[in-house]
Amino acid sequence: MFTKILFATSGSPCCDAAARVAFDLAARYNAKLFVFHVLGTPSRGFSQVVVDLRTGEKVELDGDYILWVKDELKGTYDRQLKSGVDCEIDAAVGVPHREVLRKARQEDVDLIVMGASTTGCESDAQEYERHFAGSTLQRVAKASKAPVLVVNRPVASFWGGFTNIVFGADFSKGSEHAFKFALRTAKELDANLHLFHAIDIGSSHGFISQKELDDRMIEARDRMRRKYLIQTGDFKKVTADIWEGIPYIEIVKYAREKQADLIIMAHHSKDVSDESAVFGHTLEQVLLRATCPVASVNRPDKIQLA
Amino acid sequence: MPEGKLCNKKPVSTREELDALLGDSNGRQYYAEMENLDVDAEKLWATIQKTMKSRTKTWLEICAHCGLCADSCFLYSVNGRDPKQVPSYKIQSTLGEIVKQKGKVSNEFMRMCMDTAWSKCTCCNRCGSFCPYGIDMGVMFSYLRGLLHSQGFVPWELKIGSGMHRLFRAQMDVTVEEFVDTCEWMVDEALEEWPCLEIPIDKEDADIVYMINAREAKHYPEDIVEAAILFHIAGENWTMPSSGWEMTSLSMFAGDWEACKMQVETVYEAMERLRPKRMVATECGHAYRATVIEGPYWAGRPDGKPPVECIHYVEWVAEALETGKLKIDPAKRIKEPVTVQDSCNYVRNAGLRECTRIIMKHMAEDFREMAPNKEHNYCCGGGGGFNGIGRYRKQRNDALKMKREQILATGAKFVIAPCHNCWDAIRDLEEEYEIGIRWSFLKPLLVKMVEVPEHLLPKE
Repeated sequence: MFTKILFATSGSPCCDAAARVAFDLAARYNAKLFVFHVLGTPSRGFSQVVVDLRTGEKVELDGDYILWVKDELKGTYDRQLKSGVDCEIDAAVGVPHREVLRKARQEDVDLIVMGASTTGCESDAQEYERHFAGSTLQRVAKASKAPVLVVNRPVASFWGGFTNIVFGADFSKGSEHAFKFALRTAKELDANLHLFHAIDIGSSHGFISQKELDDRMIEARDRMRRKYLIQTGDFKKVTADIWEGIPYIEIVKYAREKQADLIIMAHHSKDVSDESAVFGHTLEQVLLRATCPVASVNRPDKIQLA
Repeated sequence: MPEGKLCNKKPVSTREELDALLGDSNGRQYYAEMENLDVDAEKLWATIQKTMKSRTKTWLEICAHCGLCADSCFLYSVNGRDPKQVPSYKIQSTLGEIVKQKGKVSNEFMRMCMDTAWSKCTCCNRCGSFCPYGIDMGVMFSYLRGLLHSQGFVPWELKIGSGMHRLFRAQMDVTVEEFVDTCEWMVDEALEEWPCLEIPIDKEDADIVYMINAREAKHYPEDIVEAAILFHIAGENWTMPSSGWEMTSLSMFAGDWEACKMQVETVYEAMERLRPKRMVATECGHAYRATVIEGPYWAGRPDGKPPVECIHYVEWVAEALETGKLKIDPAKRIKEPVTVQDSCNYVRNAGLRECTRIIMKHMAEDFREMAPNKEHNYCCGGGGGFNGIGRYRKQRNDALKMKREQILATGAKFVIAPCHNCWDAIRDLEEEYEIGIRWSFLKPLLVKMVEVPEHLLPKE
């Protein structure tokens, strides 16, 4: 299932929860773990200067500096490294999302694990920054072939493996890929799979009659059956539910009720209309609020059913 | 000590030599060795006799020291009108003196020349258009840089940059395999949004061969895919060469004439091999100058022209917008005040001043000219290699002040800079002075703004 996992980290405490999950997954599923850090962005034209992403300082890059950063990383994850996980630590220079994607491609990983945002979790972060996923995560999640597992809140990182998986369906094309990944994960790990769709009544300004709501419920049930349930075959550990409300709130509530240890969603949620909203609003809010890891799936490449 | 281990008269020829230079943090050992580097006066004089042509001789002779060039030089203005920043003084006290002394100059003098040639002139050539005789100090400083390079007096980063060109035929360590792989990767990432998108490699007899700056391949490959998307929308028959795609020339900044020739010949070889109708150059100023303006002379081409017609990206965009190959969605035009940085290398040096105005007519609702502008515009403050040299960081930061004032005077908070060097300088300017501006190349804006024909959209 997971044979190669890339843990992309800023090395700051903001990634500690993600680190816990990454090392735990690698140990549990006997996967090779790549701990990868982009230490700086090239700056000042063709000079050897990079802006260190942790300190914001301009540093003169040389081999010693990279070694020093790798040592720092080893220190940061010292305890986890002693657990015997097959782990490789690497650091690179470049634009963070690009280098993470490059590494994922080079190593052909099955899963990328990341925190949601380093800026947003720092103690001096503005209130609004806490409600947005970071730009690196957004860009990685958009282009990644492998699912991207996001661990934002510390509380999301104390589960063991995956035994209760919630799939947040939005019936889009991206959702199709996400479902395949959810089903495959549930089958291979013998987990319960809970299919869930929330009818969005929160963002509509007009009054919704009960008749209309009932009709939409029926339609959603029908689509749930036709699009997803039909594919589950003889896999019996599947349930399906449709609720109404504000989708991201409902998904988080549902996951809590099902004691979900993994939520899987498509990267492109259906309600993306504003071009500046690179991330689906629903997914973004779910991954910031969820009490378990959230996997974002955007591409079919790495999730074909075995 | 005559020749240092890192600082010497020998250009980089092996990976080990390059790595040794790269390992010397900040060039500390390099510059320490430079203080003891011998000047080979005989060789220097022989080089001058062989390479200094009548134009430079005449210019050095006829300069009347009238000082009319002073106000043309932004470095003179931002440095408190220091007389030592007057262009004619700068060149007479360096190149002029070396010639007068027939090459018999000291190590200390050569280091002063290096500091002058790389931190007091960006080779923007603005002075040349204000001198009553048309004397162009920028051209002469380029020549002086060559003399200094031949004696080993060159800033550390430029010895590295030039070494990269010698080893990789690119300013960064990108191999042919890595380049081709990067293109495949970019198409792969974009295919879902842009079905049928291609970056055709080594296609012969295409209408356009597209050439770039190595930084795009190394750090910002999105730039390549944005170019591909725009060619795709415009319906162009285009290609990129697997080798010879790198148009830039840090060797030109370094004054490494031999490496300049090696680099540009690789580019011309690609043009001759693929026989495109035209070459389109990416949004880079010095790359255009190196490949289109200076290159033919380095390569010894008798007609003084590259093998095929070469146009800058702004020319292609202006043409595509005017002919309707690209159409801007009227609703997406830039509403806020926006200004454009005219790159010295293709505006003052190649006359492409109207292209960006045509582009702005299509893209922007409130385009604000800088003053002065077009061929009279000031250098961004980081040209000629200035941006990348750590030794002159303070001087470079001071140099950005002119552009800062020009931008502030427009009232625009958004600056379009279709040139890598200018883009860098304006980015650094914001980091240094925090005047609240944003900056962009053309491509990312165009990709978001152009109308996409129905048949190119993904099918649900």
